[in-house]
Amino acid sequence: MGLLTILKKMKEKEKEMRLLMLGLDNAGKTTILKKYNGEDIDTISPTLGFNIKTLEHKGYKLNIWDVGGQKSLRSYWRNYFESTDGLIWVVDCADRRRLADCKRELDSLLMEERLAGATLLVFANKQDLPGALPSHDIKEALELDNIKSHHWLIQGCSAVTGENLLQGVDWITNDIASRIFTMD
Amino acid sequence: MTVEDLSGGAGDMPAALSMGGALEEFKEVEEVKKLIADIVNIYKDEIAVELTVERMQCIFASYQEQTHLLDRYLEDLLKQLLEIVRNPDVPSRVLHLAFKLLYLITKTRGYKVIVRMMPHETSDLEPVLSLLALQKSTDHEHWETRYVLLLWLSIVCMIPFDMTRFDGHVKTDTGDGRKTVTQRIIDTGMQYLCVCDKSRDAAAYMLSKFLTRPDVKKQKLAEFFNWALLAMKTADVSTMPGTIQLVGVLTTMALLFKHGKREDLVDYANTVLEHVVVLKASVTQNTVLAKLSMKLIQRLGLTFLKAKVANWRYQRGHRSLAANLALTAPGGDAEGPSPSVGSKEGEEVVEVEEEDYDIPEEVEEVIEQLLSGLKDKDTVVRWSAAKGIGRLTGRLPQELADEVVGSIMQLFTIVETDAAWHGGCLAMAELGRRGLLLPARLGDVVPVIIKALNFDEKRGNFSVGAHVRDAACYVCWSFARAYDPDQLKPFVNDIASALVIVSIFDREVNVRRAAAAAFQENVGRQGQFPHGIDILTTCDYFAVGNRTHCYTDLSVYVAQFVDYTTVLIDHLAHVKISHWDRNIRELCAEGLHCLTARAPQYMTSEVLPWLVSKCLDMDLTMRHGAILATSAVTHALALQAWSQHKEIADLVDKDTVENIRNVIPKLHEARWFRGLGGELMKKATCCMIHKLSLAKMPFHDEPIIDIWQRLLDDCLQIIDPDIQESATVALSAFLSEYYRQADGHPKSQEQEHLMAKYLEGLTSKTQTTRIGFALAFGAMPKFMLEGRVQEVMSSLVEASRLTEKEEKWVESRRSAVKALTSLYRTEPADLSSCMADLLSATSVHTIYAALFDAMNDYTLDSRGDVGAGGSEASMTGLLQVTSTLTIAEPSLITPEISRQLFCCIVQQSVEKIDRTRAHAGQVFSQLLYHSPEIPHIPHRDDLLEIFPQSVLDSVIWIAPLSTFPLFTQLLALSTYSYSVLLGLTVSVGGLTESLVKYSAAALLDYLRHLASDREATQVFSDIVLQIFRDHQKVDRVTLPMLKMLDQLLANGCFDVFVNDDHSFPQELLALSREEIRKCGEPQKLLASINVFCGLLQFPGKVRTNTLSQLFLLLCHKYPLVSTPSL
Repeated sequence: MGLLTILKKMKEKEKEMRLLMLGLDNAGKTTILKKYNGEDIDTISPTLGFNIKTLEHKGYKLNIWDVGGQKSLRSYWRNYFESTDGLIWVVDCADRRRLADCKRELDSLLMEERLAGATLLVFANKQDLPGALPSHDIKEALELDNIKSHHWLIQGCSAVTGENLLQGVDWITNDIASRIFTMD
Repeated sequence: MTVEDLSGGAGDMPAALSMGGALEEFKEVEEVKKLIADIVNIYKDEIAVELTVERMQCIFASYQEQTHLLDRYLEDLLKQLLEIVRNPDVPSRVLHLAFKLLYLITKTRGYKVIVRMMPHETSDLEPVLSLLALQKSTDHEHWETRYVLLLWLSIVCMIPFDMTRFDGHVKTDTGDGRKTVTQRIIDTGMQYLCVCDKSRDAAAYMLSKFLTRPDVKKQKLAEFFNWALLAMKTADVSTMPGTIQLVGVLTTMALLFKHGKREDLVDYANTVLEHVVVLKASVTQNTVLAKLSMKLIQRLGLTFLKAKVANWRYQRGHRSLAANLALTAPGGDAEGPSPSVGSKEGEEVVEVEEEDYDIPEEVEEVIEQLLSGLKDKDTVVRWSAAKGIGRLTGRLPQELADEVVGSIMQLFTIVETDAAWHGGCLAMAELGRRGLLLPARLGDVVPVIIKALNFDEKRGNFSVGAHVRDAACYVCWSFARAYDPDQLKPFVNDIASALVIVSIFDREVNVRRAAAAAFQENVGRQGQFPHGIDILTTCDYFAVGNRTHCYTDLSVYVAQFVDYTTVLIDHLAHVKISHWDRNIRELCAEGLHCLTARAPQYMTSEVLPWLVSKCLDMDLTMRHGAILATSAVTHALALQAWSQHKEIADLVDKDTVENIRNVIPKLHEARWFRGLGGELMKKATCCMIHKLSLAKMPFHDEPIIDIWQRLLDDCLQIIDPDIQESATVALSAFLSEYYRQADGHPKSQEQEHLMAKYLEGLTSKTQTTRIGFALAFGAMPKFMLEGRVQEVMSSLVEASRLTEKEEKWVESRRSAVKALTSLYRTEPADLSSCMADLLSATSVHTIYAALFDAMNDYTLDSRGDVGAGGSEASMTGLLQVTSTLTIAEPSLITPEISRQLFCCIVQQSVEKIDRTRAHAGQVFSQLLYHSPEIPHIPHRDDLLEIFPQSVLDSVIWIAPLSTFPLFTQLLALSTYSYSVLLGLTVSVGGLTESLVKYSAAALLDYLRHLASDREATQVFSDIVLQIFRDHQKVDRVTLPMLKMLDQLLANGCFDVFVNDDHSFPQELLALSREEIRKCGEPQKLLASINVFCGLLQFPGKVRTNTLSQLFLLLCHKYPLVSTPSL
């Protein structure tokens, strides 16, 4: 294996990203994924297990892992942490009651060693619903400003209308791409 | 699908591979889908199954280098195949076939990608597991089934549900006593960990995923470690099963420590480390085990230490200017309702301050192991160790990290092997890439790396070090990525020069390319390499591919930038000049020649005196390189001098000229022309005389000239053709410069002396000497021949003659023919002096006679038809002589000469050796269309009709298929028929399959047109008999003749003679009989039997006589002969 081989491998790997999409149940993770994939979103049932979709975006290959959010499944999340470049945290903005729950789960994720350095995108979802909190309220509630260990962005969006979904993924791809790639 | 399809497909494969990355899309997707859909129909037909598998292999193999093209279709293909295997009622042969195809796809795209696409519902678990249970691990035909199933299981077992839930279900179904699902999965995995096929890898991968699940981990991880540690302890690496099991165990552990959560595993790490360190010492002979141990050790090291995130990772990495500019543009790019960005680019992520946690002492052991792994004899082990060092050091506190760097630096010493240097470079690169080499260290590291860029260690007559140089390029490349331009600034010039030198002057193409890539990365990211953009656009990946181009063109281009001029020159003059590869030394001289124009002053004052001083060095390679370089530079300086209307002596100082003059005499004194290396010196000095003569060194009429002359005479007689060649070239330049008077006449005394010696040489009793002097005459400038042309010509003709005693001296005859040819090579300046002699009727007669004779050189020796070389030389000669005469004095070409000329060439055009035939064809076409026209070409109009310009443009002379149909048409032309048929006989009755096939086809085709034409057949048969008669007992012709006659008789070419009592069969019978009289050669006898059988078709007396001849043969003493007579 010489330098030229390394460069060839690198070129391939540099173009791949692994994104992990998590959040409480009923936050809209699978809907977002299906929307990205151009699939029908009328009949979506709770995810029992996990989905993997590969998308092409801006010349990058995004491998998005979407894992069910039900309480019983959360302890298995860490099965999927390995070599994650970016974390997409989806929040149901209309579900004010469980915001504290939501914050606790996110905080424990960010403590996780294997997610250290991953980019964090928070989708404040369901902005199309009347009672939804705006994204800066979610930012306050989740105390995002205290996060120093990760690059992060909060983005209000609606999975049903597709609003701002693109902006979110644009940002996370850009952020990951602008790091030095070390092939670890 | 048919067999044709398959062979067509198999033919595609190398084409696709050779195209490299040239495929655009996955074109065969529909075909693949159809093949898959068909397997349920064809599975009973083994041939069809094999065809399907081979076709699939072929299709996927062509995408091996560009697997991403498959991505869009993979999901559909997998779905199609998995549907087949999910059907519980599917016949087992279909099942295995489907898995085989799944494996093909998997190995092409890589299992990690394919695994992601496999279904992983809860409902998949039980079917996969039970299907796997049905397989036998010893079934060698269907290992693909097990491999793919285990891979599939590795993703299914990631479902986020507690495994015990499945057990409850099982219990109600089948009652107690069955193993839990968890246990079944683990048991299956461990079972396959000990097999020798590829399913072991899949089992290891699956186990590592499964055992790290939160629920399984609690119950089973400890158990597994106990088992694995025991296996490591008791493994018997002297047996195959022991080794295999160990490979499985180590692979699983390495993956476990990769996938698992650090905190879960850290408790086991200590014990595992103890075991693996012990193990590693005993498995050094086994590369795979050594590599796996190294990998496991580094992963253990990582388990002991917390991960750190490099704080600079957003700082560099913007290669394009556009991206850099975009970054400085104000404003965030996220839009929409209240986007809020946490940390903007450019702003530091506050690093978790370095906690003062204790580094476990095991880490020290790990680092020690990794450092020793850098010196390992196996490349893969060094690689693994280097990556480990990189990753581990990233987690160490700064001062410890620097200690690691210090230890690596110790690898770069003279006493260490090339392996250590290679490993050291790799480690440096891995550290550099991660920014772990503190800028303060660069001062120590850069000089070492520059040394490594030129690492070349001699080992007998070869050398090692290409891998070290390549790795050093990797280091330079990694620096470009990790450091700020400011930090690298003090070293930029050193690195840039070193990289440019390697990218242009390295011996190996991959190293040149690696250096070019590293240079490009530096230019792109650092942006301060002098003239970086200009150089990298010229010296790119493709340009550095050709070494000669690098030395002679690229070096000159780069040298125009003053930063690089002297660096390049110095590298050639001080380093490459004594390179171990002779070709490199020669290129080095050439390079210096080309570079002289860039720095004439520097060359005269610094380089040349140094080079001259090395011409008498003790070291042979240095001496050789220096002599070549001195000569090349002197010549280049002379060119410089003339461009300023000066002489070489005006530029170079007296001492240097004096030293140059003394080189050859001093070499003589030191006896360096003898013994080992003597030949090398001879060749080098020939080159020196050549270049110095071209440089017009002011040595005219000095004693040195005689010394040179004697040396050249010696070299002409050396058996090595290379030296003879150099001496010949040198002689030409030498004579022109030192033996010519100002008025263009030769210096008479020298000419006298030289002629006497050289003419005598042509009659020498050794072939080498003859060759040498013949070559010398060939290269001699024409003025030297003044007044001696006749003499030289007759001597050369004599030397070109085939005599019985010197029958095998093909080379000397060929050289003489070439020399004769060159007499007629016109050089305008020399025309006057000897043209009159050359253009006399006697000369012309002599030379044609000699060349026609030389054409008939059919000498054979152990190397084969060596005479062919002589024939080719003589054809070239005929072309040259005829061409010169046609221009100068066409009247000298008589009709007889012209007839003989064309007959000879035509005959050669249909003879059996491809290369000769091709040569003859080209000569023929050039003669036919010569301008001005060659006089007296027989049947010229017919020839032009058969060979119009358009046909000549498209014909492939070397291919029998395209030339024979053309030349057989000449059979109809009376002048040529004899020659053509003579040539054809040898081809039709020859040995090479394609040759026989096409020549026979052409001949039979021609005869078929004659079939009913009695007259023409009569003419043809007469010629056949004539040739047979003329060459009676000449095996070269008669054996093929018999074979050809057999074919002709069998194809009924002489049917017109069957019914009347024609003399042809009788004469043929008589000739054939005569031919095998007292003949003991079975081949010929066998061929004659076939002819006799063919002759039986003629009734009457012929038949009776033939039969009696056959009866005689029946009683032949060789069983081989008598049997077929029946």
